[in-house]
Amino acid sequence: MYQYDTLDKEFLADRAAEFREQVGRRLAGEITEDQFKPIRLMNGLYLQLHAYMLRIAIPYGSLNPTQMRALAAIGRKYDKGYGHFTTRTNLQFHWIKLADTPAILDELAAVDMHAIQTSGNCIRNTTADPYAGATAEEIDDPRVWSEAIRQWSSLHPEFSFLPRKFKIAITAAAKDRTAAKVHDIGLMLRRGRDGTMGFEVIVGGGLGRTPYVGPTIKEFLPVNRLFSYLEAILRVYNRHGRRDNKFKARIKILVAALGAEEFARQVEEEWAKIGSEGDLPDTEIARIRGAFAPVHFDTLVNRSEIFEAAKAADPQFARFARNNLREHKRAGYTIVVISLKAIGETPGDATSEQMEVVADLAERYGQNDIRVTHEQNLVLPHVKLDDTPAVYAALKAAGLATPNVNLISDIIACPGLDYCALANARAIPIAQDIARTFADEDRAELVGELKIKISGCINACGHHHVGHIGILGVDKKGEEFYQLTLGGSGAEDAAVGSMLGPALPAGRVADAVDTLVDVYLRERQEGERFLDTFRRTGVAPFKEAVYADAD
Amino acid sequence: MKALTGNRLTDGEVVFWKAGAWVERFAEAELFDDAQKAEAAEASAKSQQTVVVDPYLVDLIESDGLWAPLSYRERLRALGPTNHPHHGKQAEGGAAIEALRHASGAARSSGRVKLIKR
Repeated sequence: MYQYDTLDKEFLADRAAEFREQVGRRLAGEITEDQFKPIRLMNGLYLQLHAYMLRIAIPYGSLNPTQMRALAAIGRKYDKGYGHFTTRTNLQFHWIKLADTPAILDELAAVDMHAIQTSGNCIRNTTADPYAGATAEEIDDPRVWSEAIRQWSSLHPEFSFLPRKFKIAITAAAKDRTAAKVHDIGLMLRRGRDGTMGFEVIVGGGLGRTPYVGPTIKEFLPVNRLFSYLEAILRVYNRHGRRDNKFKARIKILVAALGAEEFARQVEEEWAKIGSEGDLPDTEIARIRGAFAPVHFDTLVNRSEIFEAAKAADPQFARFARNNLREHKRAGYTIVVISLKAIGETPGDATSEQMEVVADLAERYGQNDIRVTHEQNLVLPHVKLDDTPAVYAALKAAGLATPNVNLISDIIACPGLDYCALANARAIPIAQDIARTFADEDRAELVGELKIKISGCINACGHHHVGHIGILGVDKKGEEFYQLTLGGSGAEDAAVGSMLGPALPAGRVADAVDTLVDVYLRERQEGERFLDTFRRTGVAPFKEAVYADAD
Repeated sequence: MKALTGNRLTDGEVVFWKAGAWVERFAEAELFDDAQKAEAAEASAKSQQTVVVDPYLVDLIESDGLWAPLSYRERLRALGPTNHPHHGKQAEGGAAIEALRHASGAARSSGRVKLIKR
């Protein structure tokens, strides 16, 4: 993975020291809360319901074991022994003290980590395919481009005060695991007819109170022109984005107002002015690419006798293998997805002990590589099939072997009203109720791929609009109610879900999901996922069943 | 009836006003039945910039002879997150915590829903 150089390290140390001084001045009363708030937010520190929350950047969801152990140690020392992985592939600690934060930033800096640009109207963490470098589906390693974007966008003076926050996703595989089409910019790497690489550029997707699947404004951007083109997009946005209204300030509103064609025209005009001077030299891309040089793979055969024997001997391991392993580009290797969705637990949470187990496994069996997915799970991208029984045993002992990846209990949920100052309703207990309803693993497998995504408010951190079943918490006359949407997708077939009907009280949500699943099982045709059946039948049979049940 | 709350500057802990100082337990909070006194306390709290962040008044309801925050959000602040019953103020348990938890049922059955318009 990418290593910080001396300059990067010095910068982080200086930045932590600067924040220490700023905290000191705030505690001494030399600056007011109004003056301090933007400073703490620039360092990822929010004040939530019960304590401060520190959001730590995990660039394109990539971690090494040393970093994971440092996060575990911070969780143990300064929090309550756990952390929460987010849909931006970052990590949040929910019980942080202001007075401890400078020391935490020092500990992060020691392992090349920080909390910069995890808040504010700047370019946030880039989402990349969590299987980067491991999947045969990709045409290039998206981490190379993500790292280049990280360096370009970090403290970029022109783009530090945008009209609103800005999020980029990159995938180099046809199967999109980054929700690229609902990002401010989605970049999909393609190979042209002549064999060269280029990006399909999608701009103005987004969730929140006005969800959009972004339109493509450029079908094929040669990769060496990426940065001048990004600069042109950001410039048009910076100039014309709605700074007068926070709710209309995201780029999606501008793109929708101008129309994709006109927006693209303005970008092209700006791009022509910038020219290739705005691009990164090939040598710099090559330098970054060097940091992601292929890890050492042994030459193996595709069939592992150890793996096959373990599956035959242990049906639970076989279930884990069916649901949590993904095909690797190299024979004899696999991608292991670690579900952070144990039944009845909080989606995305990992204890310090669990983080350490994952760090140990990455070190021993996984080429020192760990990924965070936007679906709030972890990935060991390079594990030998021969080693999977040992990895499974260690995960199981740590409560990390839930065999439910992409199944109905693999639910995205934001922290919701249990922690978040912005939330209208809780999200976590709803996820827990649904997961318990589908705790029967045979039934969950029978249902197959079904993505439930839950947000506690319209800001949609839980990506509810793009859930196959989306659930939005609303405050209805002071009580928690939940609005269900069906048919959303954050993948390559992206779609915004359609409203099912009137909002339901908390106690009825899991039952309603159960009913929706019954309708799907009744209606589905050979090979159809829940989403496919819904797309064929429309909302009617689902709506009828839920609201007939609901008297 | 009202209480005055905010988050403590140094650690973000939820605190309640009690005669010019701040306490961590809602059960020990000063209760105001006089709007003018409540607003005077709020003004005074806002001047304590190095102690507390963004203090504000919350409405209370009576539930089984005890007072509890009217809104669910404020009860949750006074208790802690529901996914970790051993985290936050609720961890110490006891009658006052149970009363707050119980207040939700009472609040839903009272006129609360009419007071907070969507």
